Amino acid sequence: MCLLRTNPCPAQELVIKDDLERQIQLKTPAQRIVALYGAFNEILFAMGVGDRLVARTQADAIPPEITGLPSIGTHMRPNVERIVGLGPDLVLQMGGRKAARQSVDNLERFGITTAMFHVETFEDLFSVIHRLGILTNAPGKAQDMIHQMRERLNAVRARLPHRPGPLVFFEVRSGNLLTAGQASIVTDIISHAGGKNCVELNDRLVRLSEEELLRLAPDVYLSQRGPMNPAPQDIIRVSRFATLPAVQNGSVHIVDEQMFSRPGPRNVDAVEQLAAILYPELFPELAATAADTE
Amino acid sequence: MLGLTGISLAAAIFPGAYPIPFDAVLATLSGQETDATRKIVILDIRLSRICLSWLIGSGLAASGVVFQGLLRNPLADPFTLGVSSGGAFGASLAITLGLAGAGSVFGLRALPMAALAGALAALAAVVALGRIGGQLRRETLVLAGIVISTFLSACISLFKALNEESVSAIVFWIMGSLQGRSWDHVLLILPYYLLGCSLMLAFSRELDFLSLGESQARQLGVATTQVRLALLGGAGLVTAAGVAVAGVIGFVGLVVPHMVRLLLGAEHRPLMIYSALLGGLLLVWSDVAARVILPGGAELPVGVITALLGGPFFCFLLRRQRAGHS
Repeated sequence: MCLLRTNPCPAQELVIKDDLERQIQLKTPAQRIVALYGAFNEILFAMGVGDRLVARTQADAIPPEITGLPSIGTHMRPNVERIVGLGPDLVLQMGGRKAARQSVDNLERFGITTAMFHVETFEDLFSVIHRLGILTNAPGKAQDMIHQMRERLNAVRARLPHRPGPLVFFEVRSGNLLTAGQASIVTDIISHAGGKNCVELNDRLVRLSEEELLRLAPDVYLSQRGPMNPAPQDIIRVSRFATLPAVQNGSVHIVDEQMFSRPGPRNVDAVEQLAAILYPELFPELAATAADTE
Repeated sequence: MLGLTGISLAAAIFPGAYPIPFDAVLATLSGQETDATRKIVILDIRLSRICLSWLIGSGLAASGVVFQGLLRNPLADPFTLGVSSGGAFGASLAITLGLAGAGSVFGLRALPMAALAGALAALAAVVALGRIGGQLRRETLVLAGIVISTFLSACISLFKALNEESVSAIVFWIMGSLQGRSWDHVLLILPYYLLGCSLMLAFSRELDFLSLGESQARQLGVATTQVRLALLGGAGLVTAAGVAVAGVIGFVGLVVPHMVRLLLGAEHRPLMIYSALLGGLLLVWSDVAARVILPGGAELPVGVITALLGGPFFCFLLRRQRAGHS
C-alpha cells in the first residue's frame, strides 16, 4: 500500500508487536539491520532488502553475498561492542531461549531497537515475514513472498492422498537421542509433507529413550546432518533397531539440518523434499533430487 | 543385601517405556518369547542397562570407600582427584571435534574411548604431580587433583565457548546418563572393573592401617607408597571406566560409603563390599527412575536423580554426625 503512494509513509505505520509482546516502533524504515539469526538474512534477501544488512553472525553463509559483511559473534553470544560500533537501527533475534533474550537485553541498554521472534509453525514464519515487511517498509514484497510460499505448500497438499500419512521420527542428535517434539517447526514441516510426527510431547526438543522409539514404531526415520548432528547414527546397522518399521521398509533418510530445523524460507524446500521421500510415486520429479541428498 | 540385589536386578527389568506384560517378560527371559521387538527391548536394552548401572554404581561406591580412606577425608569421592574432569575433557574434545559418532574401536563409538583415555590420563597426571621425592602424600595428591581438575574444567569451558552447537551435548554428557548404552559398553568397562576391584579388595587390610595415619601404618610394616599407588590405581581404573561410559554420576561414591559406615563401622573390607552392593542397587533404581519418571518416554539424566537423592541425604548424615559428637 505504502509503495503506491507518492508521499512518504507516516511514521506511525512502522509499528509491530514482537513475540515478547513488546511494541517495536521505528521512525524511519530500517536501513541498517543486524540479524542475529541466519534465517532473517535469507528472508530479507528474498524480499529484496538484503543490502540493508550491515553484519552477519560467524556461522552465516547463506546467501553467499552475506559473507562479505563483518561478523559480530554468534547467535547466542553476539559481540555487543561490535554491534554498537556498527550503529544499527534494528537488531533481529530469534528464539524463546532465555539466553537469546539476554543477548538483546544487553543491546537495548545501548538504546538499540531489537525485535525478538519465535517460530514454531509456518503461520508463525509468515507472520515474521509480514512484520519484517512493515519494519523495512517493503510490505508488498513480504506479501509476495508469503504468497509464493503458500502456493508451493498448497501445491504439495493438493497432490497428497486423503488418508492418514506415515509416522515420521526426526533425529535431531544421535548419541543421547534427541528428537523434535510438537513445538518444533519440524513437526509442521512433516505434517505439510503429508506425514505425522510420531513424538507427541509438546516440547521443542525431547530426549527420548530408545524403548520409546521402538514403541512409537515410526514408518520413516529422518536424521538431520549439520552442526547439531555432525554424525547421524546409521540406525540400519544398529541391531536393536532391526524391528523398527522404518528400518524394515528401508525408509531411513538423512536430511539437511539448515533446511529442516531452522525456521526460514527454505522450510518450504524441506516440505517438498520430504513429500517426495514419503510419496515418491506422487512426486516423481522431486523424488529424483530427494534421493541425491542421501 | 545379596538377596535384595538379586531381587532388584530382576525387578528392574519390568518397568520401561515399551509396554510389555508381566508374563511376556518372563517368557522372554526363559527364551520362549517370539516377538522380536520385545526380545530386543528386554534382552538388549533393559538388561544391558541394568548390568551397566549396577557395575558403575558398585564401582563408584567401592572406590569412594578407597578414596575416603586413602585421603582420610570424609568429603573425598571418586571424583576428588580429577578423574571425572579428565573423562569429561576427553568426551568434550570428541564432541567438539565431531568425533562423537565417528570411527569405531571394538564396535564402540569414539566417545567412550576418548573419555576413558582422558580419565586415565588425568589420573596418571595427578599421581605424577602428587609424587614428591618418590612418596605419595595425601595433601599433595589432593592439591594435584584440584589443580588438574580446575585446569581441565577451564579447557571444557573453552570448548563450550568455541562451539555453541555442542554445548548442550557436552552438558548432557557431563550430567551422566545411561541412555543408548549397550552390551558393548558393559564389555568395555568389565576388564577395568574387575582389575580395579581386585586391587582394592587385595589391599583393603592395608587401607585399615593407612587410615590410622602414615607413621602408624609404617610401624605396622605397610609399604605405604606402593600400597597407596595400588589402591589409587584400582579405584581410579574403576572410576575412569564408569565415567567413560556413563558420564559424571555424582553422590553415589560420596554418600553410599557414609551410609554403610553408619551401619557397619569403618573396617574397610566389609565396608567396601557392602558399599559396592548398595551403590549398585542405588544406581540400578536411579536409572529405572531416570527412564520412567517423565511422561511420554522422555529421559532424565541419571546423574540428576542421584544428586537429588544424594544431596538431602548427605545433609542428614552431616547433621546426625554432628549431633553424635556433641
